[in-house]
Amino acid sequence: MTAPLAPAIVLDRATFSYGGTPSLVGVTASIGAGDAVALIGPNGSGKSTLLKGMLGLVPLVDGTVSVLGAQPRAVLGRIGYLPQSDELDPEFPVSLAQVVMMGRYRALGLARWPGKSDRQAVAEALEKVGLADQGGRRFGDLSGGQQQRGILARALTGQPQILLLDEPFNGLDRTNREALLATLKGLREEGVTVVTSTHDLELAREACTHVMLLNRHVVAFGPLESTLTLPQIERTFEDVGVEIDQHMVTTLPHEHG
Amino acid sequence: MTLADIAAAFSLPFMARSLTAIVVLSLVGAIIGVIINLRDLEFISDGLAHSVFPGLVIGYVMAGTDGLLIGALIAAVIAAVLLTFVARRGVGSDAGIAVVLASMFSLGVVLVSREDGYVSQLEQLLFGRLLTVTDSQLWQIVVVSLVALALVLLTWRGQVFHAFDAAGFRAAGFRALAYDLVLNIAIALVVVAGSQAIGNLLVLALLIVPAAVARLVTRRLGWLAPIAALVSAASGVVGLLVSYQASVVHGLSASPSATVVLVLIVVYLAVLGGYSVVRWCSLRRAVTARSEESAAHRHTEAARS
Repeated sequence: MTAPLAPAIVLDRATFSYGGTPSLVGVTASIGAGDAVALIGPNGSGKSTLLKGMLGLVPLVDGTVSVLGAQPRAVLGRIGYLPQSDELDPEFPVSLAQVVMMGRYRALGLARWPGKSDRQAVAEALEKVGLADQGGRRFGDLSGGQQQRGILARALTGQPQILLLDEPFNGLDRTNREALLATLKGLREEGVTVVTSTHDLELAREACTHVMLLNRHVVAFGPLESTLTLPQIERTFEDVGVEIDQHMVTTLPHEHG
Repeated sequence: MTLADIAAAFSLPFMARSLTAIVVLSLVGAIIGVIINLRDLEFISDGLAHSVFPGLVIGYVMAGTDGLLIGALIAAVIAAVLLTFVARRGVGSDAGIAVVLASMFSLGVVLVSREDGYVSQLEQLLFGRLLTVTDSQLWQIVVVSLVALALVLLTWRGQVFHAFDAAGFRAAGFRALAYDLVLNIAIALVVVAGSQAIGNLLVLALLIVPAAVARLVTRRLGWLAPIAALVSAASGVVGLLVSYQASVVHGLSASPSATVVLVLIVVYLAVLGGYSVVRWCSLRRAVTARSEESAAHRHTEAARS
């Protein structure tokens, strides 16, 4: 065993709200550096809110959030974020390489032009997601899975220590799914902390070390084996469960879309 | 009209000033228009144009032609800030923009209608006087346009990122509010620069049409601004010449700024027509190819059984 590292993300009774009823209440958790956490819960359970909260994009109305020992907004350059990709305009006139280069814009500032090191970072990121030869293609012409990997490459150009992924496996075919899993595995080996929301329990088992079950609050949080259990999942999805002939049936919204 | 005629026309001092004004405005409008197009801000641009109008009127009422610039500048900054916040509301923001647009425009009309001979003044403010641009007005146009251009070029990359993926943009640490504000001020400045020459309403065409043409012609980001600028400047020159020819040679007084806009619209319609034909042909090719493929497939299946 190596010496325990400082935790990457610490939440203490964190409550997030867009105004009105809080979307997520009283989250207390410590996510270790190099851990991979799956956020699992029904639609509207606060998975996306928690990810955005870790970026400082959702108002924190109570408690504290500390990322890499600081306020989230102060360390954004070290966090990579993959938003849900279904909102991107397929007609937008950009190439894949241009999209990935966007990951360097913040560091470039207003007046500096992208240089050799930036282009190299783009090439390396494309390589990591398995799209090395696709940079010149128009982003909208790529398949949904390739677009998803392209956005991941954008998040990787800053060589983040933390990667936050919002439903990255939604609607992916097997090829893209395998490619994305391989990329995530490589990143974890480099010591990157990963937090991903997902509907896919199988995927959580394959790619994650820890699980956080959410339903507007934390139902359970801990190592995969002891947390991803049937009773815990039933508790998490109780809102969408139905009782038939005295048996509790929960409807797990699986990969759709 | 020969080249010599064109050279002769533009050697007239008033025509040289008009030409400079229209070229500067069309180049700057086209480049900023690319961002307006990518970010779908056509309606807010319309709101900004209408909101600059009462500033023009107040400036004119207080200090005549010399007051136009300062009045418009003050209105531009107020309108840009106001509309930035109205547009951030997301749901219902179109209604908010429409309310600002209509109220500002009405305010301008009420104010100008108190003046004597207001119909001709209203016409001048709305549709511009391209042929009577003075030296000092030309300087104002150039300086205000260049400030607007600088604001957009400095934030260009961020504006494109924001247009493509607003969530990713904010997550990367960019301040969306600052970018919105800078862009809206730049748009309002182009409206200010263009108001006296092209007119408060027609200047909108210089912001919106060239970029729309470029979007039809290319799917590459790097080509949008050069194509929009070329289309816009060429239409400006052609429109000015057509209007000169009509007025001077044929005695038909045609508003030069409206002629410029009409030339732009003709270019847009021609390109849209060409684009539709190309698209239809490629769709047809794809459909034919697919049906031939499936026919061949059926043929092999039949041969096999």
